[in-house]
Amino acid sequence: MSITTAKFSRRGVLGATGAGVATAALAGCAGEAAGQDGDGTIQFWSNHPGSSKDLEQAIIDDWNAANPDTPAVLVDGGANYEELGQKFNAALAGGDLPDVIVASDVTWFNFALNEATTPLDELWVEAGVDSDSIVDTLREDYAFNGQHYGMPYSRSTCLMYFNTDVLAAAGLPTDRGPESWQEFAEWAPALVSANEGKPALVIPDGTSYLDWYFQGMIWTFGGAYSREWEPTFMEDASIEAAEFLKEQVAKNHIAIAKDAANTFGLGNVSGLLQSTGSLGGLTESSQVPFITTYLPGPAPGCATGGAGIAVPNGISDERKVNAVKFMDFFTNTQNTITFTQATGYMPVRKDALEHPDEVAYLEENPNALTAIEQLNENTAPQDYARVFVPGGGSRIGGALDRITIGQEDVMTVFQNLQDETQRTIDRDIEPFL
Amino acid sequence: MTTIARPPVPGEPAQQDPPVRRRQGTDWRQVGLAALLIVPNLVLLLVFTYRPLLDNIRLSFYHWNIASPRKTFIGLDNYIEWFTSPSTGTIVFNTVVFTIAAVAGSMIIGLALAMLLDQKLIGRGPVRSMVFAPYVISGAAIGVAFQFVFDPGYGLIQDILARLGLDSPHFYQNAGWALFMITTTYVWKNVGYVFVIYLAALQGRREDLDEAAEIDGTPAWRRFWRITLPQLRGTTFFLSITVLLSSFQVFDIINVMTGGGPFEIGTTTMVFQVYQETFVNSRAGYGAAVATIMFLVVLLITVIQVRMQDKEQ
Amino acid sequence: MTTSVDTQVVPPTAPRDAGEALPPVPGTQIDEAPQLTAAQRRRRGRGVDQSSPVVKIAGYIALAITVAVIMVPLYFIVITSLKTRPDIYSDPITWWPNPFNPQNYSYVMTTLEFDLYLRNSVIITGILTVVKVTLGVLSAYAFAFIKFPLRNFLFVLVIAALMVPNQITIISNYSLIAQLGWRNTFIGIIVPLAGVAFGTFLMRNHFLSLPKEIMEAAEMDGSSFFRTLFKVVLPMSWPTVIAFTLITVVGEWNEYLWPFLVADTSATAPLPIGLTLLQDVEGLTNWGPVMAGTVLATLPMLVIFLILQKRMIKGLTAGAVKG
Repeated sequence: MSITTAKFSRRGVLGATGAGVATAALAGCAGEAAGQDGDGTIQFWSNHPGSSKDLEQAIIDDWNAANPDTPAVLVDGGANYEELGQKFNAALAGGDLPDVIVASDVTWFNFALNEATTPLDELWVEAGVDSDSIVDTLREDYAFNGQHYGMPYSRSTCLMYFNTDVLAAAGLPTDRGPESWQEFAEWAPALVSANEGKPALVIPDGTSYLDWYFQGMIWTFGGAYSREWEPTFMEDASIEAAEFLKEQVAKNHIAIAKDAANTFGLGNVSGLLQSTGSLGGLTESSQVPFITTYLPGPAPGCATGGAGIAVPNGISDERKVNAVKFMDFFTNTQNTITFTQATGYMPVRKDALEHPDEVAYLEENPNALTAIEQLNENTAPQDYARVFVPGGGSRIGGALDRITIGQEDVMTVFQNLQDETQRTIDRDIEPFL
Repeated sequence: MTTIARPPVPGEPAQQDPPVRRRQGTDWRQVGLAALLIVPNLVLLLVFTYRPLLDNIRLSFYHWNIASPRKTFIGLDNYIEWFTSPSTGTIVFNTVVFTIAAVAGSMIIGLALAMLLDQKLIGRGPVRSMVFAPYVISGAAIGVAFQFVFDPGYGLIQDILARLGLDSPHFYQNAGWALFMITTTYVWKNVGYVFVIYLAALQGRREDLDEAAEIDGTPAWRRFWRITLPQLRGTTFFLSITVLLSSFQVFDIINVMTGGGPFEIGTTTMVFQVYQETFVNSRAGYGAAVATIMFLVVLLITVIQVRMQDKEQ
Repeated sequence: MTTSVDTQVVPPTAPRDAGEALPPVPGTQIDEAPQLTAAQRRRRGRGVDQSSPVVKIAGYIALAITVAVIMVPLYFIVITSLKTRPDIYSDPITWWPNPFNPQNYSYVMTTLEFDLYLRNSVIITGILTVVKVTLGVLSAYAFAFIKFPLRNFLFVLVIAALMVPNQITIISNYSLIAQLGWRNTFIGIIVPLAGVAFGTFLMRNHFLSLPKEIMEAAEMDGSSFFRTLFKVVLPMSWPTVIAFTLITVVGEWNEYLWPFLVADTSATAPLPIGLTLLQDVEGLTNWGPVMAGTVLATLPMLVIFLILQKRMIKGLTAGAVKG
């Protein structure tokens, strides 16, 4: 075995031929002509968002019954989006690509930028997919360079939860949340004193996506993490939002916690910022009564999140078309209704909301309706600095930890954040755009 | 076959010559036999460990987004970036503190437990198994279980401290406490390994020395320092290296408990950084550089350990 | 083992500068059969019964503290596996499931295809353990007893493999396995994990600690290799082999990242991968079933430990009697 002859093979270069084992194709054969042929099945790599393996399998069974020539196979893609990304990256480096993958809000762009996933627009036409039937906001989340690189699947947004007992005790309305963060700051002292001095609101910490929740807050102040590829941490409005957050933490109005949802469920705080994904779990386990509300405005006050599905670039055109047909089926009106009702994610098709099943469901579950209504009225796609810049989420999360938990100086922390983000863009993004 | 010589006792000066068949010249039949015995294993290691290692070293000189087919040669840039990055200091500090604390903690506690459970105490059998049990459980499950211990909102420590009228430290929000939490959890998991090895060594040690000292009236703690510990020196050396190497590579406890935070890198160690850069930030070239540095550091430390041990002898 | 992912499970061990004769590393002789001195034999018989009551009481107190510290988190794993969702998080935490909810276990069994994952785990761990222990013993035999060119260099090569962090081997190995068409096969999971460095080191140092005279006697008898191995060397080494086996079994059983990358479905993937299905990516994970899965996955290992540990200690005492 000659050690030096071993090279990384690149995706799409070798099929399942098994030839040229150790002397794999040289690195960097970009632009390979033909894509990988598969074994005739559609390999769907999913991490089963919302513990949805059974559901996914059921939908796939339906597909297989209707399409016996191109059956789909459900593959366990890991415990979370990071693991799924890792598995897909391994496949990119080593060949043997799947047909459809789940790609999260932070992973899809890197795949698109590096041509690891394929643009879908032409495939939609070829496969006869009506992309207008997809909820506009959610579809446009996957737009890059005038093309779309994913279809929404398990999409979430944030929600504000309030303990209604405490709201009532504080003499505040029990049917709505604060309309602005300024109103929250006015409510907070009453909430704190009505609940034995416990904080009015808990937000997950920097390793639990504080950067995602704060994104909405910074927008309502007129700031942003970035405008396109221009980091804007040092804008006055961004700084103002960060100072506000820091002050609210210092005043014990806002708490930052590792396990925010359970802290709220146990009654140790009066309010909570969490993903819609937690709604089901909290409904089942919370020991306090609660309502869900929009995040404070003015709109947009909240970012969308969650994951979509995408198609690898290195597979053959025939596989791509079949993959897109499968994706269309997988997220069609009926299936998205079934899936979202069971998991708490948001329906991804426009007509799903008028479907009688869904209407009846939402009538019974007003908390689920909050998220869907908010989607149209109070959300926006995320800033590039968080989701497109490599390491953006943890970088911003770490900085927010510093100013909240650490009570460090906002200007200094954000200046560092600005510089580091800029450096990363110059190094990892700019040359590839 | 009857045993005619006493096998060496751990800690005794070692025999210097391996019992090689002493013959003149090379016995090619023996060489052939040796080849048959070692080649399969050697091939596996070459193909699945050394080939990737060399690949990794090569990649450390490239800018490579892991999702991209393009690799750009950038010379030593990844290394320069690591050595000049402001976060490197914190990450090295975390790695050093964690490793030293984990090695010292599991060694001292492991030895203490081994000595304790070497005594004739009622119930020592089940307790021995119990001490080993955490070593078997997956790190992910342990991380979750310890949340019930450490969480400042509802955890056990918080509960006990509250009864004493004290506030719980913010284990997840203070980098120092978070590192303490990670280390404690790791020691809890790993102590069973140290314990088993020490226990076995204690069983094989020369009790007559102890007893002679006991008759002399040497106090217990001096007997420990003067007689027991020196007898265990070899075992201690072995464990210090094996535990060090495994501590250096701890990943899943950190991943589950803190995700490397707070403050982004509050509990990030070098192995965690390799993972984070390669698979989360997609910077595979940079991750490879960190991995290469880590490999060299581990190699260096181990060589120093071996040299120190040689000098002592 | 060097490609193992759960880095805590397999204790790597140290390389030695093999340019010189290696002294036996005593930790590796955890279980050889020492010939006991008269005092040791006496001690075995009576333990430390003569120690003062104060010391004994202190010993029991220490024992109690040990039990408490080790047991509390273990206890939480077990009771959480029996709790309903609202009961898991409560303030203050509850020490007893209320209501008692063994359904978590049936949930794991039914949603997971538990039997398939378990079967795969048994196959993978079983084959890997047999292969690794065999390879480890054989190569250790060569390194310890046979003189051949480049011996020390090759030994260092084996040992230094322990220092390669597994995070850096997976991508490269993945492409090799994928090109061989070995994804989703047991062989693809097993072969890259089958090289053994720790065990070679462990066994070699144990072999070196065996009395020289025995090997020389065997040589004079003109014993064949297999005869020497099975009639002379192994009978004096079972406890070490058992320790090696124990560590290998535990390590392979908990192997996660590599099988995760190469195995897609329950046709070949082992238990740790099946268990990830119980976790929820964005919402609140229901930890009851996760802990139930952990308990189920851990139990076989504890049983194996109990069996092997007994044999290890038995090996010790048997050796003592023989001496």
